[in-house]
Amino acid sequence: MARLDLHEESVDGVAILGVRGRVDTTTAPQFGARLTEIFQDGSRGLVLDLHELEYISSAGFRELLLAARRADKVARRLILCSIPGKVQQIFDIGGFVDLFSIAASRDEALNAAR
Amino acid sequence: MTLPPATTAKASDTRSAKARRARAPSRTELAVPNRIEEVERVSDLLDEFGAKHGLAKDDLTDMQVALDEAFANIVNSAYSDGDPHEIHICLAVGRGTLRAVIEDDGMPFDPLAVAAPDLSLPLHERPVGGLGIHFIKSLMSDVKYKRIGDRNRLTLTKLLSE
Repeated sequence: MARLDLHEESVDGVAILGVRGRVDTTTAPQFGARLTEIFQDGSRGLVLDLHELEYISSAGFRELLLAARRADKVARRLILCSIPGKVQQIFDIGGFVDLFSIAASRDEALNAAR
Repeated sequence: MTLPPATTAKASDTRSAKARRARAPSRTELAVPNRIEEVERVSDLLDEFGAKHGLAKDDLTDMQVALDEAFANIVNSAYSDGDPHEIHICLAVGRGTLRAVIEDDGMPFDPLAVAAPDLSLPLHERPVGGLGIHFIKSLMSDVKYKRIGDRNRLTLTKLLSE
């Protein structure tokens, strides 16, 4: 199985990126490249569905930070949703909870991103 | 490949998971070149070791993140000579702990001496780096650093959940 699997779909003009596996030192560049690509297309907002994210290390948070700044600059919504308990703990440790828009569910995220 | 005799297989089926874990070697080692992609082998080694010992997924995840950070720090910062080097990793389990010892022959670097990052900064002022050591310290139960001769030795210890 691939360490990181990114699955993209579009709902009402909102891009949803499903992130499955591990975002670590080796997979973070792939993750960052995909985020950049998505911001270049015409979608209004981006939802990152993290329910199948096993873990994320600082290399991955670096890409998330850069993506959030980019989103801010181009006035696009970036919403993270469905963060598993273990991953939530890593977000807490990194002090990221207040930095990103986080929704409990995918539906909630879609509503916020439209 | 040699298959064990049927009787042996049957006997092992009746053993408890605990007994099987006790039979698995309590430590494993790996030496890898100082290239970033090698972190995958370190990660795979931990997956296998954790599975053999029936370790809890959350404990393994904490160690995976800590090892990822430690390994990346060494590869990105320990060497300036451009020559190939070897990073040595040893994993051990016992007395309710999972331990990883990482050794490199790079420049002296004590991660414990690094100041904690300012987590209160807003999005645009947050540095994009410098979080790795904070993650290691937060996720592990104990972190020790020692310079031995020309080597750095980092010992990461995680108290295992029940």
